[in-house]
Amino acid sequence: MNKEELLKGLREGVIEYDEDKVKKLAEEWLKAGYDANEGIFEGLAAGMEVVGDLFAKNEYFVPEVLMCADALYAGLDILRPHVKVDKGKKKLKGEVVIGTVEGDVHDIGKNIVKLMFEVAGFTVHDLGKDVPLDKFVEEQMRTDSDLVCLSAMMTTTMVGMKKVIEKIRAKNPKVKILIGGAPVTKEVAEMYGADGYGRDASNALTEAIKMISSLREMRREDKI
Amino acid sequence: MADGLNSKERVIKLLNGDVVDRVPCFSGMGNITVEGLNKSGVSFVEAHKSPEGMARAAASSFELFGYESAVAPFDLGVEAEALGCRINFYEHSEGIIYPTVKTKILHTGDELSMPEDFLERGRIPLVAKALEILKRDMGEKVAIGSYILGPFTLAGQLMDLNELLKDSFKRQGDIRRLLDSLKAPLIALGNHLIESGADFITVREMGASADIISPRMFKNLIMPPLKEVISEIHGLRILHICGDTNPIVGMMQECGAEAISVEQKNDVAATRAALGDEAVILGNIDAFNLLVKGTPEEVREAVKKAIKAGVDGVMPGCDIWPEAKAENMRALVEATAEYGSGRIGEEK
Repeated sequence: MNKEELLKGLREGVIEYDEDKVKKLAEEWLKAGYDANEGIFEGLAAGMEVVGDLFAKNEYFVPEVLMCADALYAGLDILRPHVKVDKGKKKLKGEVVIGTVEGDVHDIGKNIVKLMFEVAGFTVHDLGKDVPLDKFVEEQMRTDSDLVCLSAMMTTTMVGMKKVIEKIRAKNPKVKILIGGAPVTKEVAEMYGADGYGRDASNALTEAIKMISSLREMRREDKI
Repeated sequence: MADGLNSKERVIKLLNGDVVDRVPCFSGMGNITVEGLNKSGVSFVEAHKSPEGMARAAASSFELFGYESAVAPFDLGVEAEALGCRINFYEHSEGIIYPTVKTKILHTGDELSMPEDFLERGRIPLVAKALEILKRDMGEKVAIGSYILGPFTLAGQLMDLNELLKDSFKRQGDIRRLLDSLKAPLIALGNHLIESGADFITVREMGASADIISPRMFKNLIMPPLKEVISEIHGLRILHICGDTNPIVGMMQECGAEAISVEQKNDVAATRAALGDEAVILGNIDAFNLLVKGTPEEVREAVKKAIKAGVDGVMPGCDIWPEAKAENMRALVEATAEYGSGRIGEEK
């Protein structure tokens, strides 16, 4: 299989949620001596981009997206250890704290956003779901992360995010804070003082996948 | 025309398919407000854990705003708790946080065996007692409601949701057997709640909306056990599904409940066109963006729009968020009375 065929196969493996195919092709990609990062971005992430389109068009639903994400992870686990860190190149430094706020046990949207950061090579500190508010503040301090992502899928738990944002800002005004989840609107993000937001539940998935596209774009322009 | 009905008569007649004097404003889901908790001197934790507290809190929206139902319980963990899950009540957290399931008890491949003393476990006796109190104290004036989860939504409480969603695809046979094993406790609970005093039961299959699950999967996997549960509950029934439901309203109606309830993402005019005049459609007021964040004027507009689009009962699309403003609750009830007195669908 030549390079193009391998990339196409990786993309298809993600789209068809075929973990075995992705694993096999990721191994072949490395064996042939190709660049791991290219395999991640032009193979796996490109496939996930198509998945995002299928989801937006109601051809795929949440179960399918979750299976595609698993296939992507199967490839990522193989390729990521081989990503070359080029010290001469300016890298977008990335550490991110992510979690679902206390009272909320829904983490599907959060997991897809996490996947996006992992694809981009961020170090992700995943606090999981139903996370006590102070834990976000502590973890940001502990890891000195650049980004904190808060998710709430239910309106009743969303108010908790406001308190976290205030506390983090008080300690470290430079941290970027993204909030997302079903009830989060632009207005809520502004009101709570967040730097960005993901719209409703299905949009959060679409938006997260779109972020993969912009990362691919940035990579092509040699920014990351 | 049926003149001068009280809230109870109006809701029950509507669900029975009889002519009513006007559109009622009620819900089959949680209807607790911070205002109501404060006025009745009940803490949010007490509202979940004491039968008297639960009954007083459930009655408060009727008493304060003229909301036309009193519904207990308020959380979605009653079944899971009685089946053996540990529940987190967040007793030490500030603010209002709904109880959630802390420990999951099922995996794909498992089937649940219903405990013999299921109806005596967890908070089921407490909810039953709260319904008895409501029936005794106000059962002639206001419709008493309660709810159960649909099998798929209950499965999402009993097992990891990611696992459930993926295996609904990959191991559909296993998930089908698991869902089938959840029918018996749900049927037993639904009937028990009716015997305890509920005039109507809402079956909440919230996890099955068409923005999460394909209509095909709804039809093949989710609908068959859901339909069976509904058919075995002997009383007035509402089926509620959140999110985008337009692609599945026909199947929702086929499930056989007296009414279907939809939220703000549903295009009610399209639903009415699809289901015809006989269907009883309830909805579709945005419980957060309108009742919490909106103004009374916006609430009135939404009520008018919902009635015009064809709802038979004005209902929030989800549990009322406790922080809903009192003036919005009043506007919701008043606007329904004002705009809802023509026969459904008639121009005023």
